[in-house]
Amino acid sequence: MLLAAAQLRVPSQPFAVNLPVAVETPTDHDLMIAVRAGEIRQLGELFERYHRRLYGFFVRLTNQPSISEDLVQIVFYRILKYRHTYRDEGKFSAWIYHLARKVAADHFRKHASTPAPIDPANLVEHADPEPQPSEQAAISEDVTLLRTAIAHLPLIHREVLVLSRLQHLDHKEVARLLDCSIGAVKVRAHRALKELREIYFKIRKEKTA
Amino acid sequence: MNCQRVQECFIDYQDGSLPAGESAELRAHLASCPVCQREWSALQEITRKLDALPDAPEPSPRLREQFYAMLDTHQREADAPSPFALARGRIDRFFAALLPTQPALQFAFSVALLIGGLFAGRHFMTKPVVIAPVDDSAKTELAALRAQVNSMGQLVTYSLLQQQSTSERLRTVLATMDLKSPDRKILTDLVGSLAFDPSINVRLTAVEALAQHADDSLVRAGVLSALPRETAPLVQVAMIELLAGARDQSAKPVFEKLSRDEALDRNVRESARRALAVLRLPAPPANNPTATIKANAEPALT
Repeated sequence: MLLAAAQLRVPSQPFAVNLPVAVETPTDHDLMIAVRAGEIRQLGELFERYHRRLYGFFVRLTNQPSISEDLVQIVFYRILKYRHTYRDEGKFSAWIYHLARKVAADHFRKHASTPAPIDPANLVEHADPEPQPSEQAAISEDVTLLRTAIAHLPLIHREVLVLSRLQHLDHKEVARLLDCSIGAVKVRAHRALKELREIYFKIRKEKTA
Repeated sequence: MNCQRVQECFIDYQDGSLPAGESAELRAHLASCPVCQREWSALQEITRKLDALPDAPEPSPRLREQFYAMLDTHQREADAPSPFALARGRIDRFFAALLPTQPALQFAFSVALLIGGLFAGRHFMTKPVVIAPVDDSAKTELAALRAQVNSMGQLVTYSLLQQQSTSERLRTVLATMDLKSPDRKILTDLVGSLAFDPSINVRLTAVEALAQHADDSLVRAGVLSALPRETAPLVQVAMIELLAGARDQSAKPVFEKLSRDEALDRNVRESARRALAVLRLPAPPANNPTATIKANAEPALT
């Protein structure tokens, strides 16, 4: 368990640069143990460390920023509600993603399983409102296209891509979250990438046509 | 390496987690296979596009506000313990203050408690096991018990002699006859009954009861002093016989006076005269005076 945790932590190091993880003494695990013991306010620090990541996860998955904020709130609410179930040997990031996946699954179940097709209003919101040089405009259009393509992926593939490619989780960690083998995660990731590419080019063709 | 195997390894190769040997094989295959080459470059392209995807936009401030509002609510709930928990905490603290905190002292306390329990058990449990002891201590105990019962009987007598009902008083006087060695208090009470009780029956029974203790000078003096005041002939006769039976010489003047008193009952006068005759006789060798009294008293009473 410890060995696995150590191995899992290694790949996340290079990406820690752009994350709000501070170099403070208490680890996520220490903080969560404190929260479990009744120091509810310690969850604030965990919120600061994780809410952007979770928000990104939900935005990628749902393409709905305001709903994603609600889902992040639900995840932290569940952390408080089920804080007693957090185990001493647990890994906090695994736990919080586990909760996030469940929250997302609940959300999709409630809202007719398929994600809402990308909302143009949201895209406008994301897009840079300033006038772009032609090269940047092309990139921005490409990004929009890719987001649309992701939104069209079936949830099972979208989830794998978001977790491994966008949330930068290790394959092993994703495998544990999805409750399948590492090999299965890799196969799924490969298929997801291929499918994404197909969808991406299909949309681009439709647009240019 | 065939094409399928190569394409299965793409993900690992991309991550850089493919072993060096297999990576070399894969590169060699890619160089010679245009299909796999196309597949690889397509995968690389979409992956680059994905990685180039800008980070998700910042969540709105609303998220932070809502989160900290929720946190405050939960912290308040956690800080305000239920009254039950509060009371339990207080009880716990109370017992914690009573008992020792150091493990060594706790151990000592437990051992002391155990020894105390064993001792108490020995002390209290063995008592009823002792059955009918035949030694001296038991005998003295038995005697003490008897004395206790006796004194209890006396106590009952004292109280009963004060009874208002005639029959109750009578029964009490009769009860004193059962006492083998009544103390002074009872004898005085009997004399008192003889002198002052309004009922002839009670007075008569008191004389009978006192007759058993006629050898006591106190009894004789009491009877003698009560005799001149006595009006009932039956009681007078009984008293005279008691005194004569006890051969009390001090009763002589009273007997002489009674024998000459014409106002008295004839039987009383005769009895007094007989008593004088008894007193004039020399003392009998009998060592049991009560026997003579009984012998004399019977016919007089009937």
